Amino acid sequence: MKKILTELVITVSVILVVWFGLSQVDWMRLLKIEKSNQNTEEKIGDLFWKMLKNSEQEITSESVVGTIDSMLTRICTSNMIDRNKIKLHLLRKDEINAFALPNNHLVVYSGLIAACNNESELCGVMAHELVHIEKNHVMNKLIKEIGLSVLISMSTGNGQAETIKSVIKQLSSSAYDRKLETEADLTAVDYLIKAGIDPEPFANFIYRLSDESKNLPHQIYWINTHPESKERAEKMIEHIKESGYIKTIAKDTTRFPRLKERVKESL
Amino acid sequence: MDCYTPDRVSCPQLDLEHIQRTMIATLKFNYEPSEHEAEKASNSYVMSLIAIMGGLPLPIINLIATFVFYLGNRRGTYFVRWHCTQALLSQFVLLPFNSAGFWWTISIIFTPEKISSHYIAYLFTITIFNLAEFIGTIYSAIITRKGRHVEWWVIGGITNLICKA
Repeated sequence: MKKILTELVITVSVILVVWFGLSQVDWMRLLKIEKSNQNTEEKIGDLFWKMLKNSEQEITSESVVGTIDSMLTRICTSNMIDRNKIKLHLLRKDEINAFALPNNHLVVYSGLIAACNNESELCGVMAHELVHIEKNHVMNKLIKEIGLSVLISMSTGNGQAETIKSVIKQLSSSAYDRKLETEADLTAVDYLIKAGIDPEPFANFIYRLSDESKNLPHQIYWINTHPESKERAEKMIEHIKESGYIKTIAKDTTRFPRLKERVKESL
Repeated sequence: MDCYTPDRVSCPQLDLEHIQRTMIATLKFNYEPSEHEAEKASNSYVMSLIAIMGGLPLPIINLIATFVFYLGNRRGTYFVRWHCTQALLSQFVLLPFNSAGFWWTISIIFTPEKISSHYIAYLFTITIFNLAEFIGTIYSAIITRKGRHVEWWVIGGITNLICKA
């Protein structure tokens, strides 16, 4: 019996030692898996954006794009996120929505800007989407819901336009699972605090829109697709309290109303 | 007929052709199995080979197939029973490792779990050991078909404990 046990222990040990030994090799680099994944994401993201750009109208006004760009840059630089990799796009659409596409595309609808009461609210939504990008939630969601093989097929140009459109619709109009949404909410609060932006208006924005969505259910995509909005807002408030954030007075209170005016003019 | 005790050295009936402390030791059985017995014993290994090929990537399939064959032959002669048991037990050693690899793969496909160097190394590891087991099974099938007796590392000892004459 002792001999059998010894042999068994030796066998299991040999397997583990071989595994440990082989783990020392950087297979991801050797087999170019990371690069291949990155290429797929790049192609998919650019394909999705191209399709979206063709079907919607992009806002290119320097004054509008510049203002939102500076808000995003502030969040990125304060959180050590490479701003250059984020591709910000503003689209003319009255839906209250913002979403992330693969390959770091961040899409914001003019309807969202119009619905925000202040800069912090818009920054909160952008920070939330930025977390989805940073934590790779976008590709994970796509792989989970439609499969890697379909994505690779799309990236090689074999995807049909209708399929691509439906995937974009899925990305822009459905939420991630609750765990990922909570992670995005709470990390967004951290991003805002680090950037010196008051996170409370973001929580209030979610709370407010969840009430308003009862009257305008089809326009408020960003809230409709994010379930248990009130519960989310409460969690965020709790997180803000725990973080010991001390509220500061906003320096420029006229910038956001001016931005809203310009967006309205461009519609 | 009592010779298949774990302590083979003290068993006078067992005439060891050569005792190699290797993965598979070829030994001489205490009686000369008939042609029919050798064929059946060899078939137990062949069954697990076919099931391995048919059952991939589900690691449980070959175990089930070998178990069914074992059930069908558990009242057979000692030589047949012994080898059916060894063939069945041989499936158990790698089963937990194969199952872990299978569920790891499933989690990569369906959850946010990512492919990593650890995962690839694990796949290589279980491939190496499955290949070794595969070759061992082919070898055992050939040798037992000739009426000779083979005992696997670890498995042979456990089989001796379970399978009494």
